Amino acid sequence: MNKRLFFIFLLGAVLLSGCWSKKELTDLALVAGLGIEKNEEGKYVGTIQVVNPGNVAEGQQGGGSGQGPPVSVYSATGDNIIEASRELSTKVSRRLYYAHTNLVVIDEQLAREEGITKILDAMDRDPEFRVTTTVIIAHGVKAGDIMKALTPIDKIPSSKIIKTLKFTEESWGEHLNVNIKEVINALTSSGKEPLITGFHLIGDHDEAKKMESIQQTAPAATIQTNGLAVFKEGKLIGWIHGEAAKGSVWILDRIKRTNVTINWKEEKGAISYQVMRQKTNISARMQDGQPIITVEVRAEGDIGEVIVPIDLTDPHVFLEIEKGAEEEIKKEIEQAVQEAKEYKSDVFGFGEAVRRLDPDAWETLKAEWDDRHFPELQVEVKVDAFVRRSGLRNKSFLSQTEENR
Amino acid sequence: MLGFFKKRQKKKANGLNDKRHPEIDWLNTIDASLSINLEIIKEKTGNSPDVIIRELSMGLNDSVRTAIVYIEGMVDDQSIKDFLIESLMKNQNLQEKVTQQEPLGLLKKKAVPFGDVVTGREWDQLFSSLMAGEALIFIDGTAEVLIIDTRGGEKRAIEEPSSQVVVRGPRDGFTEDIRTNISLVRRRIRNPSLWVEPMKIGQTTKTEVAIMYINDVANEKVVKEVRRRLKQINVDSILESGYVEQLIEDQTFTTFPTLYHTERPDAVAGNLMEGRVAIFVDGTPFVLLAPAVFIQFFQSVEDYYTRFDLATALRFLRILIFFISLIAPAAYVAATTFHQEMIPTQLLITVAAQREAVPFPSFIEALLMEITFEILREAGIRMPRAVGSAISIVGAIVIGQAAVQAGIVSPAMVIIVSITAIASFATPSYSVAISARLIRFLFMVAAATFGFYGIILGIIMLTVHLCSLRSFGVPYMSPLAPFTLVNNSDTIIRAPWWAFWQRPRLISGENTVREGSRQKPRPPMNREMVSRSNEKGDSNE
Repeated sequence: MNKRLFFIFLLGAVLLSGCWSKKELTDLALVAGLGIEKNEEGKYVGTIQVVNPGNVAEGQQGGGSGQGPPVSVYSATGDNIIEASRELSTKVSRRLYYAHTNLVVIDEQLAREEGITKILDAMDRDPEFRVTTTVIIAHGVKAGDIMKALTPIDKIPSSKIIKTLKFTEESWGEHLNVNIKEVINALTSSGKEPLITGFHLIGDHDEAKKMESIQQTAPAATIQTNGLAVFKEGKLIGWIHGEAAKGSVWILDRIKRTNVTINWKEEKGAISYQVMRQKTNISARMQDGQPIITVEVRAEGDIGEVIVPIDLTDPHVFLEIEKGAEEEIKKEIEQAVQEAKEYKSDVFGFGEAVRRLDPDAWETLKAEWDDRHFPELQVEVKVDAFVRRSGLRNKSFLSQTEENR
Repeated sequence: MLGFFKKRQKKKANGLNDKRHPEIDWLNTIDASLSINLEIIKEKTGNSPDVIIRELSMGLNDSVRTAIVYIEGMVDDQSIKDFLIESLMKNQNLQEKVTQQEPLGLLKKKAVPFGDVVTGREWDQLFSSLMAGEALIFIDGTAEVLIIDTRGGEKRAIEEPSSQVVVRGPRDGFTEDIRTNISLVRRRIRNPSLWVEPMKIGQTTKTEVAIMYINDVANEKVVKEVRRRLKQINVDSILESGYVEQLIEDQTFTTFPTLYHTERPDAVAGNLMEGRVAIFVDGTPFVLLAPAVFIQFFQSVEDYYTRFDLATALRFLRILIFFISLIAPAAYVAATTFHQEMIPTQLLITVAAQREAVPFPSFIEALLMEITFEILREAGIRMPRAVGSAISIVGAIVIGQAAVQAGIVSPAMVIIVSITAIASFATPSYSVAISARLIRFLFMVAAATFGFYGIILGIIMLTVHLCSLRSFGVPYMSPLAPFTLVNNSDTIIRAPWWAFWQRPRLISGENTVREGSRQKPRPPMNREMVSRSNEKGDSNE
């Protein structure tokens, strides 16, 4: 009898509790990306990209692709991020679901004037929002405009941006795919500042919002990476581009595969060295009470292209190519250090290396690290490049045509 | 209301005590007079035309009146005609002697060319022999009857079992005849220790039931328990081994089978060698095996015939299959209504796009499809073969593209239902597959109310339940829980034959050693068996 009573209670617990926290898919608005900027009144403007599933997935009943835009964009204002997000409910018919938000776009102006520290708390705190969400800066364009631009191939613009970033980081190495967690870590640790990739929109901003834009071979506007944003005390203070940006990625040990162009004698850009593997170590040592940083790079790669007739069967040629690659990489790294010093922002975490080496000395250096010690810091760069293979050919056909002549 | 039940109960009690022929009840033994005896037989069998009474006379001047009584169809017609009647009527020598001597003993000794001949005088015994297909010879003036084993008659030939098909393995299966079935097993275990104990169960049907075990391998306590439970059965009829199974189970409140049933003699032989007890029931090709453990239902006889590595991989697959058939729809419901964050973004968008046009919540959608499938399956099994193709055509419409196009279900749900269906067909044991079928709905309800948390709760409850089960005292989850390391060589994994040192300890008796040591085959170090004919110069080079 007791058992039966227990069972009835159990049954009651199951049946009467209802479907707690149940949320049907058709009641959810999947937010793919979130853009944050500030308007003239000083209020935050949150712009969200809501996925229209029917227009994204191909071959489904009720719609099908190409009939409507893959995403719809809504904006709302508020005194803080959550308020803006809640206000969005006045415009969106479904419960906003942030668990699949993979991109946060921060407006450049907001990052310059107010910094990014304040806005990250909401994302860090919210149980739905992922801290692995990628963060980018809208460079020279409103965050809202980036959110509104349509993209071909990857129909959801947010996922286009993330994939672009991932792919370019892997094969070109001038940009960094950083997420909220990494940004917060960099912001909170003394002796390290975040580097965030910037994106801009090339082309007609208004046309980019229309479906016609992506129904052409060349879309009206393209979202493209543009530099790395340098932060200092949470505020954006400038951008680094090109070789300096690549050098930064080298120092941060985030290079996966990249291209190093080497000059051969008088010929500029004669040889292309393709990095396959690399490892960068940052170490610090103290000399006369002053810290010295050593950046050691060990790179390994293949030869991708040769436009001068050289004999790649000769080991001496290999050694010279290696030397050339080392010089080139060293130049990039030194340029990156130089630019960071100019910005007086320790984006590489050299300060952390010093702290790990000598915590007591760091206590005294800490206060004036960015403004005094870092710009004067002596940085030694050692690069060890190795050519593993020469691709499918050793001697280029160029040398044959040369001989025939 | 209560009164109504009381009356019915009383009636029932009356029915059980009711002796249909109280007037001959006192006549426990037969009479010396042939005509009285035959009258009694006629009366008791209600003059049924298949009870054949063949009266004949023997001896000089036909002085000895005899009668052969048998039931048409139950006896081997050929032997009755060719041997029994022939020898009684034609044997001149016998005719002379019969008048002089005591005829019964003479017939028994000289005239009846059959293996099993006994005498009897009690009606109970006579009738049960008669009903079993034995022939009775009555002789006028003798209050004793010859009972001759002429059992035979029409029976199905030995065919390949349809419920447990194997690719590699013997093709014979049990038939409805208990004696054929017993012989099929005895052919495989040629050992005097293979003991068979016959008994009759069923007040009315008097069904022959036999327990079979290997005397020094089976656990005596289990044999005793099987015997006790079978003896306890007091029902009017046993028409299939399912009757017996349900009457001797340890635990009735469960969907899981606690007795194994099989149509395959090799499976029975293998299980007897592990120390199990087989229960044969006349009239069905399904033989029961006790005690049964849970993991047994994921094993197929073929596992033991194929290589151990393949067999092990298949067993892993079957466990996976069981879980798919149990929780696939539940997991879909949980993932799409509670844990959208767990689904990869791209997949979620695809699923969301499909759900967009579906008017039902996913639980209802899943329930709808599962019930549809169950209906389809039931129809497929019960309908005559001729309409089978019609069912598959219509079935493809209700769980298929048409259902999707109608906007009632999403394609993902169709896939889920289909994979569940295939998984439940792929489970080697039908009885476990149908219990998974039932429990699946409970899991779906749990998933719809609590999400994955509910599924995990369900799995925990299921595990607790399975661990609480016993089969003839043996823990149902053994040898996994309680864990017996040696016996785990034949559970989820199937160790090679040279590593099967022991019988299942909890099932078999004292005699657990199965094989000698060093059974692993080792190739000889020299290579003498390599043919030397291809010496230098011999080849076609």
